[in-house]
Amino acid sequence: MTTLLEVSNLHATVGDTEILKGLDLSIRAGEVHAVMGPNGAGKSTLSKILAGSEDYVVTAGTIRLDGQDLNDMAPEERAAAGIFLGFQYPVEIPGVSNMVFLKAAFNAQRKQRGEPELDAGEFLAWVRHRVKQMKMDPQMLHRGVNEGFSGGEKKRNEILQMLVLEPKLMVLDETDSGLDIDALKIVAEGINAMRSPQRATLLVTHYQRLLDHVQPDFVHVLAGGRIVKSGGPELARELEEKGYGWLQAA
Amino acid sequence: MLNQDAYTEAFEALLPTLPDAEREARREQLARFFGSGLPDRSLETFKYSDFTALAATPYRLAEMADAGDLSAWMLADADTRVWVNGHAQTPGAAETTEVEGPTSAPAHDGLAALNAAFARPGLQLHLRRGEQQTRPLHILNVSAPAAAGRMIHLRHRIRLEAGASATVVLHDVGLGDAERWITQTLEIDLADNARLQLVRIQDESPSTHCWFQATARIQRDARIELLPVDFGGALVRNDLRLLLQAPGAECGLHGLFAPAGRSHVDNHTVIEHQSPHGISREFCRGLAWDQAHAVFNGRIVVHPGAQKTDSEQRIANLVIGKGAEINAKPELEIHADDVKCAHGATFGQLDETALFYLRSRGVPEATARSLLTFSFAGDVLRRISWPGLREAVTRRFLQRMGGGLDAAELDTGVQQ
Ligand SMILES: Nc1ncnc2c1ncn2[C@@H]1O[C@H](COP(=O)(O)OP(=O)(O)OP(=O)(O)O)[C@@H](O)[C@H]1O
Ligand SMILES: [Mg+2]
Repeated sequence: MTTLLEVSNLHATVGDTEILKGLDLSIRAGEVHAVMGPNGAGKSTLSKILAGSEDYVVTAGTIRLDGQDLNDMAPEERAAAGIFLGFQYPVEIPGVSNMVFLKAAFNAQRKQRGEPELDAGEFLAWVRHRVKQMKMDPQMLHRGVNEGFSGGEKKRNEILQMLVLEPKLMVLDETDSGLDIDALKIVAEGINAMRSPQRATLLVTHYQRLLDHVQPDFVHVLAGGRIVKSGGPELARELEEKGYGWLQAA
Repeated sequence: MLNQDAYTEAFEALLPTLPDAEREARREQLARFFGSGLPDRSLETFKYSDFTALAATPYRLAEMADAGDLSAWMLADADTRVWVNGHAQTPGAAETTEVEGPTSAPAHDGLAALNAAFARPGLQLHLRRGEQQTRPLHILNVSAPAAAGRMIHLRHRIRLEAGASATVVLHDVGLGDAERWITQTLEIDLADNARLQLVRIQDESPSTHCWFQATARIQRDARIELLPVDFGGALVRNDLRLLLQAPGAECGLHGLFAPAGRSHVDNHTVIEHQSPHGISREFCRGLAWDQAHAVFNGRIVVHPGAQKTDSEQRIANLVIGKGAEINAKPELEIHADDVKCAHGATFGQLDETALFYLRSRGVPEATARSLLTFSFAGDVLRRISWPGLREAVTRRFLQRMGGGLDAAELDTGVQQ
């Protein structure tokens, strides 16, 4: 299997504070990785840096997707290259409908990759089918992006966007928080539907319950800006039982 | 120095066209204008807008002209009445030439007198008790291409008796780019339970100077929603005054100021709670491109005895052009103790997190900025309840913004 994402010795700062301190992570196509860790450990920081956030300065290390160095790539270029970030806190954009947003994103990515754009009718069909898959009300497409959505609806909308955009690497930052039991299942089904030998998933989560539905191949603990422990699915259960204290002591 | 000779000459030319009975009153207004002159920066309320720059120009009244094909400005599903250079084109649109005097102190005595001396009748809308106007009324005020140094003065009147309701758009369009000077006043009376949505679109040419004053008196449980939208003009001043005169009166004032080029747009709004249980909402958005300068001054006065007033004012601004500037100032004067008043002004740049969100989905940065700018202005645009008009104003806004967003693709809710 080929390596899809290769993060090595990543150091990143915000202002004067170093948040990531030599992080290594390697994800091969077809795999699901879970990253867990205490609040403030740097999980969202890592996720946002992968997507190209300009809030952070990468001071050392490299990030490669499919062997391509992402360092100088803008967020929209990374998106076209196949990175998708499901936000821990999705943003509301009143007055810009979900449909307009999705179409702009979808066709911009295609254009960037030199693929033909879809016209309004073709795109509508493409989206409708996925809205149904996420068991969402098609009327939501005409509402503003996340405008007035509940916390759970926003997370579901993140997965809808992911299904529409069909990324290669899905980075989902706490997509499970705020979801009721039924919504969690729908979200998990959405993620599983996207799994393929060509794609990979990076789940940031605090809870085992998502991992019951989306089986990870590897579980990592991020603490103090580094991956401090990696293991199989059993590690998540162990963490749920014991917390993180025993790791930091070690 | 005010060019009195030129104004006198213009006045003498107008006089023979006026009914005998009016001439004396008009002459008095001209004298009052000469006495007060044009406002300059020494007045606190005009500190950003100096009209004395226009004083020396020898303006003449604009002649009737052929504005050519106006189909681009027409709106679907509306009753349109056209004025060209201040002359009514639609027969019967202005059957009265009688000009009613203002019933409250004007924003500036000299400007008001100038308008009163020269004004032709503009919209004269009078709805009887309970009358519901079924189609929106579209007042298209066109300044036709003409020689430079012309002036146009109009006086509008809207009177809704108890329970009547109407939607009106005052749509000012400037063709060509000759220098012009336009004043308009609008007096509005809403009797008990009347409803009015009034949209004003100011889309004058870049070298037109404008003064517009609207005064609305709102009675018991009546409601006005005023949506002023400014795109054009050189030196522009709008005085918008909403007076809540009886219990339960309600107003919404939602403005969008979007000047570009070297345009200077100064909006002064006043909402007066003169009676208990009034409700006012004022949500305005200002954007400035290029070297444009926008001024917003929003005063809210709660008079003694206006208990249980519920007032909210939110102003937000977005400076886009490197040489652009926006000055916004809320002013709250509260003389009653049992009231709920919230207000705030924010200045800003586009939200960086939202920008990153859009870009992380693949939307190019320039498009992302356009979408967020549209979202910012949309807060006012979406309040235009008549779909055909909302779409037209949206289209105009997108044209102003640039960036290639297409109204037809923007899914502004029109097609549903
Ligand atoms: N823009 C910023 N300015 C200052 N500090 C920041 C900024 N962004 C992140 N931090 C800090 O970096 C650290 C890591 O934050 P991050 O959001 O990555 O944590 P996390 O692991 O995602 O936590 P959680 O589990 O609570 O979501 C925190 O201490 C946070 O306060
Ligand atoms: Mg986080």
